[in-house]
Amino acid sequence: MRIKIKIKRCDPIKEGACAPFWQVYDVLATEDMTILDALMKLVSEDDPTIAFRKSCRSAICGSCAVSLNGFPKLACSTLMLPEYRKAGKIELAPLSNYPVIKDLVVDFDRFWKKMEGVTPYLTPSSGSVVTVTGEDEAAIDRSQKCVMCGSCNAVCDSEEADSSFVGPSASAKAWRFAGDVREGYKTKRLEKLSNSHGVWDCVRCVHCTEYCPKDVSPLEAIERLRSEAVKEGVTDNHGAKHVLAMAESVKRVGRLDEAAMTFKTLGFLRSFGMIPFGIKMELHGKMPHPIIFPAIDNIEEVRTIFEATKKKKKD
Amino acid sequence: MTLRYAYYPGCASQAITKESNDTTRKAAALLGIELCDMPAANCCGAGLLKDYDYMLHLSLNARIFSQAEKMGLDILTICSTCLMIMRTANDDMKRDAGLLEKVNRILFEAGLEYKGTIEVKQLLWVLKKDYGLERLKKKVTRPLDWLKAAPFYGCHSLRPSSALGFDDPENPSSLEDVLRSLGAAVVEYGGRTKCCGFQADLVNLDSAVALTADRLLDAKNNGADCVVTPCPFCHINLDNYQAMAEKKAGTKISLPVFHLSQMVGLSMGMTPVELGLHRHLVTPKNV
Repeated sequence: MRIKIKIKRCDPIKEGACAPFWQVYDVLATEDMTILDALMKLVSEDDPTIAFRKSCRSAICGSCAVSLNGFPKLACSTLMLPEYRKAGKIELAPLSNYPVIKDLVVDFDRFWKKMEGVTPYLTPSSGSVVTVTGEDEAAIDRSQKCVMCGSCNAVCDSEEADSSFVGPSASAKAWRFAGDVREGYKTKRLEKLSNSHGVWDCVRCVHCTEYCPKDVSPLEAIERLRSEAVKEGVTDNHGAKHVLAMAESVKRVGRLDEAAMTFKTLGFLRSFGMIPFGIKMELHGKMPHPIIFPAIDNIEEVRTIFEATKKKKKD
Repeated sequence: MTLRYAYYPGCASQAITKESNDTTRKAAALLGIELCDMPAANCCGAGLLKDYDYMLHLSLNARIFSQAEKMGLDILTICSTCLMIMRTANDDMKRDAGLLEKVNRILFEAGLEYKGTIEVKQLLWVLKKDYGLERLKKKVTRPLDWLKAAPFYGCHSLRPSSALGFDDPENPSSLEDVLRSLGAAVVEYGGRTKCCGFQADLVNLDSAVALTADRLLDAKNNGADCVVTPCPFCHINLDNYQAMAEKKAGTKISLPVFHLSQMVGLSMGMTPVELGLHRHLVTPKNV
């Protein structure tokens, strides 16, 4: 069947800067045609000026990620007609959250800098021999599958708001090494990742895990980095304090005590800054009143579960 | 047949967004859906307990499930984050019998057991599938045909689709379907599946309100009179933090934000006071 493909293009050499425009192409689509097949056909038969990246054509090299109908996909492993039927259109654009070089080619400079920033190699402590069990390996296994296609950073909502955010791809790589039992600088890594623009800035939009073509689940890596940081006592930051306040609140009353949590997370001085907001909330009857926070029924069960979890870990 | 659920409003809807819980209870009574209370249910952890200790997160969620299992009912929640946390925990345990066994060894200490038999649903899904849109339409006494609503799904109604799986995360339709059944017109805009920023409010407020502002402006610029969300946390950011978002964006937004339950209630003739509209920070008087 013949379908229309819209490609978001820009030609900085001609225009002096990347001024994007949409160009429509007509393609004879077959059932077995991938997005990359279609692009290669267009370049060889219709328009040799379309720029895009590709290499292995087998979803291993991670070169060909593009935005398809608004969501990042590997062009080589995405069949075109099912996507066309689902959305009623095929719109190809460069990945979001990256500067565009030309057409579908984006600048990965920031991506690589973030990778370098998490020291992506193992640094064992000297002298000791560590045995790696299957369970140890399984804990970091998903992070090792990353092909660095950059899809996760492209859909990350934290990255959208703050380009300095460490990002899902570098977080997954960070867990690959911080979670390795042979690593000698685990705590140091966790400290660095707990700084501003670090793993606590993740808004848990779950985009990274949803759109990773390799099932890396960067969000899981971020959650593991966070819980390891808390366990290692790297807690002098709002994110970790928030988590500790939550655990304390659930253990005490079985649920979330909003006022106490804000206070414990932000500390005295920053909570002070929230007072005008609090007054506004109070006027609308929205201010949570901690004193009238009754515990849930059978709260002892919750406390027993807290103790039992801790005990089972030691066994 | 009367639909019955183990009702889990979630912490936010029992305190800061209490109007969502109150409205849901009244609307459910009008619809003929029976909500059975779970007075012993604990907090799902909102993901924060997962950041604290994974096994604790699973075990405390399994405690909630074991209560529903005893009641012989599936869980109905009105919080998308509770939905996502509970469904992913349930999914992890259902996929891995060894993991469920480990959790049960912890629960055993508290005299509890979870067999892995219950499902967790949210109000939106129940309205669309269990209750049915045709039945819902018959209940509407005051169609919302004067309203142009921007549906805002938020993240945790959609992703991860491996554990949620009700809507297509790229092209969801349930919220539009329900709103249309109530008579409202819906506005198309890209922000509907994106993040409101809530989970970073206390860590990186600047980023959080930047996202809030972007979503609100996206809805407004596409012609919306209001935003409707199934999630209380999205409501907190889109409504309570709207003034901060306006400051960040440097422009007035003034877009009222409603809970899904309020739209259902409104279409069945509930009054503004019953809907708790006075509790909103952005006044809905103009719509």
